[in-house]
Amino acid sequence: MVTKQDSDLLAKVIKFLFWPMAILVMFFLLVPVYIMVKVSLSAPQDILTQHPPFLIHNFTWNHWLKVLKSGNLWLPFQKSFVVATITTVIAIMVAAPAAYVISRMPKKVRYTVILSLFFTRMFPEVGIALPIAVNFIKLNLLDTYTGLILAHLVKVLPFIAWILVGTFETIPEDLEQAAMVDGASRWTALTKVVFPISLSGIAVAAIFTWLESWNEFTYALYLTLSQRSLPLQTYYYVLRGDWFQSAAYSTILTIPVALVTFLLQRYLKSGYLSGAIKG
Amino acid sequence: MKILKTYRLEIIMLLPLVLYIIGFTFLPVMNTIFMSFQNPHTGAFPTFANYQYIFGRRDFNDAFWNTMIITGIGLTLEMTIGLVIALMLTKNFKGRGVFRSFLLIPMGVPTLVSAVTMTYIFNIHGYLNELLYRLHLIKIPVDWAGGGLKTLLMIVFADMWKVTPMVVLLLLAGLESIPGEVYEAASIDGASTWQTFRHVTLPLLKPSITMTLILRAIDAFRIFELPMVLAGKNTPVLSTYAYMEYNAYNNPYTSAAGSTILLVMILIFIFGYLFVSERNKEVI
Amino acid sequence: MRKVKLYIKLLGALLLLTLVLSGCSGGGDVAKEEPKVLRVSMALAEKEWEIMREYVFPPFEEANNVKIEAIQVEASDVPKKLEAMAKAGKMEIDIITQDNMALAPLVEKGLVEDLSEYRDRIPKEVLPSLIPVGEFNGKLYFMPYRPNVEITFYNEKKFKEAGLTPPRNWDELLEVAKAFKEKEGIGRVAIKGTLDGNTTCHLFDFIRSAGGDPLVLNDEGSVKAFTFLQKLYPYLSPVTKKADWNTMNQYLANETVYLGQNWPFGVSVIVQDGGKKEIKAYHGWRGPVKESHVLGGEVIGIPKGTPNKELALKFMEYLMSKEVQEILVSKLAWPSCRSDAYGQVEEWQQPYFAAVNKALAASEPRPNVTYWADVDKALNDAFKEIVIEGKPVKPTLDKYHNILEAAKKK
Repeated sequence: MVTKQDSDLLAKVIKFLFWPMAILVMFFLLVPVYIMVKVSLSAPQDILTQHPPFLIHNFTWNHWLKVLKSGNLWLPFQKSFVVATITTVIAIMVAAPAAYVISRMPKKVRYTVILSLFFTRMFPEVGIALPIAVNFIKLNLLDTYTGLILAHLVKVLPFIAWILVGTFETIPEDLEQAAMVDGASRWTALTKVVFPISLSGIAVAAIFTWLESWNEFTYALYLTLSQRSLPLQTYYYVLRGDWFQSAAYSTILTIPVALVTFLLQRYLKSGYLSGAIKG
Repeated sequence: MKILKTYRLEIIMLLPLVLYIIGFTFLPVMNTIFMSFQNPHTGAFPTFANYQYIFGRRDFNDAFWNTMIITGIGLTLEMTIGLVIALMLTKNFKGRGVFRSFLLIPMGVPTLVSAVTMTYIFNIHGYLNELLYRLHLIKIPVDWAGGGLKTLLMIVFADMWKVTPMVVLLLLAGLESIPGEVYEAASIDGASTWQTFRHVTLPLLKPSITMTLILRAIDAFRIFELPMVLAGKNTPVLSTYAYMEYNAYNNPYTSAAGSTILLVMILIFIFGYLFVSERNKEVI
Repeated sequence: MRKVKLYIKLLGALLLLTLVLSGCSGGGDVAKEEPKVLRVSMALAEKEWEIMREYVFPPFEEANNVKIEAIQVEASDVPKKLEAMAKAGKMEIDIITQDNMALAPLVEKGLVEDLSEYRDRIPKEVLPSLIPVGEFNGKLYFMPYRPNVEITFYNEKKFKEAGLTPPRNWDELLEVAKAFKEKEGIGRVAIKGTLDGNTTCHLFDFIRSAGGDPLVLNDEGSVKAFTFLQKLYPYLSPVTKKADWNTMNQYLANETVYLGQNWPFGVSVIVQDGGKKEIKAYHGWRGPVKESHVLGGEVIGIPKGTPNKELALKFMEYLMSKEVQEILVSKLAWPSCRSDAYGQVEEWQQPYFAAVNKALAASEPRPNVTYWADVDKALNDAFKEIVIEGKPVKPTLDKYHNILEAAKKK
């Protein structure tokens, strides 16, 4: 039996531990990022040693300059950016209406549909990436933006549909019915009432989708000849052994993501996501 | 016909998604499952030869247990720590915005990059061993990839860095959708902090926990890059096992069998969890 | 509703940016129909690409009025890509240069052309010992172009500090491994023990240099080799199980490992990029019977279904020509596949180049058997059981000998 006095103790402990914990969590979050940045800015002798220092002793911009000059940055960046953005837009256009319909189904059916959407995500990619990629190559989409976008849709659609189903569930049905009483058609009620209200949920889904496509590797490997996307270019740097350039490259490509997430984090609060979860 | 007419709009809205998913993924998945029951040499169907073969392989058994342990420990830690951080973020404190932005950075770092960065930490002469050395805790570097529990924990830790932020966001959203009045009522009834958490927050958060857990479980069972880069093939998991069968030994049939087993494991986990949590509904 | 507007603006801005970006890509998606384009896949580092683009491709492009589109494909990705294209019926690569350790899947899956009828296009100056590497069941699928062999890297500074010299035979190898382990508490000698093709390669060296045959696996030489490895293993570095062709360079460069074998491209990564001048190389050690190294390197193949077969064959001949081989020797310090190609390598590279040539002199090609996947598996399983887990040598090898015999009959 927990008494009120104990609870005071718990509350006190929480208060006491709050900042140490917050700092600890921040520390763990930042350490890997710090190391990545550090390697990219250190002269080789700082890293290639049995006892690497924790701070940068011999600073150099060399690795960054090499990467920036290599010509390996702009085209892959462009490809990844365009593919991720278009994938996101199309995914929302395809998934949003369907998610709305699913969200209005009875609970048992809804669960079944959501889980069967995820069925394909439960399979390891090694088993299905090849046959899926073959489809797109047959359509002459090798080494094209379109091919990669279509492949990424395969990956992100179940995910985005799941988040959106949850978002729409939180919107009371009365709202659209009220609009229809006012003489609006169902489609108008949807586009004018339901979708605007759920815009924030859609935004969250969009961020997840965008990041997923930005980071995608396996399909890109099958569907690329010469126009590499960012993850493929990173893979090349990692395999071909220049540790410093691969760290510089990784850091450079993390910067836009950090900026975007920093700008968007304020929209990620309150109940935007809440809907996503009410199974 | 009447159904078609009444639900015309719904069908039009649903169709693109369903067609896309069935057309491009459902069929390949089914085909791969079919292959796992096919004889590699004669093409005869059905046969359990592929399954018999992999069940007899030591590395498959290792992969199976490694996957189970990584998923078990990983999910527990991610959910617990994720919940703690999410609870912290419900408080209004100075620097919350910064905290939240930092939280999102790992989500934007490609898994391959995070794996490579983690090798800098966990290498024989990596930063973790260097820290322990400077603290005079060790003299001879620890081999974190040496196998056994410490290697699995290393993989779990590396994975947590990347995915806990996602868990936090999903749980935080659930927490913030709990109306404030509920807490007020609890406080008027004189409930302690623990009682409020146990009997108010947790039950109301259960749907969020369920969905987060399912989503995470699906990805945790399929963990691939991190074990591959951090531990190598000496610590196999099911995904890397299926990958090796296909790519190194050129056997798509046994690879398919490995993948199918992984699928079945995930399904068992999800339905098992749903079954247990539905049955215990009244208890909470 | 302010937020909604903001989102719309944000989305609009994003879309605009996307359009601008895809605009300047200038329809890079299309233009594959040009008749005179030769698509070549290679797996090279940045510096090697520079040499190819600057010195090797242009003369061929000019002489034949073609444009060479060269792409980077790692050896392990070649079968994946070709298989996907073959299944789709659209072969988009005309010629591949591929690591000769990864040929079996290409032949097994029927992804490359049978080149037997073009055998006479191999110049007679090409070293005859290189040709069997491209043969499977008596048919020629690949032509030689770049012989290669693993050399032994060692950290000269650390060896001096410990008063040791690089090992020349098995006994010295064991002594060195022991000495470092005793001195530093952790093993400093590594072999590539990732339990895949990397390890297979090492095992071939050990077994053959003890006079054994890896395909028999329970003969006297094999037993000797596994017994030795079992004795050696406790003194090896713990990174042995993670060391492959890629990571070995890193372990050598950051002084995790003081002695290890790897392909010569490590020279440019460790010494040139990493600035670790104290990492030297020599040809390696001999076993009880002889010194033996697996003959590695790259060969050229033509994917089935390419529309540019004739041009690809021409390019193949060009790569084997004296002219190109001399460029590769002098600019990249690659050993030549011809007996008449000479070049002066840069001074700092000379000792490494000498090591490669000396090791090459003791190299033997790997046999191309149809049950290669079984050989690979059996060797690595045996390594795991005997060397890592310490099971008795002879009975375990007998078991895998029987497995190989069964695979042979399949």
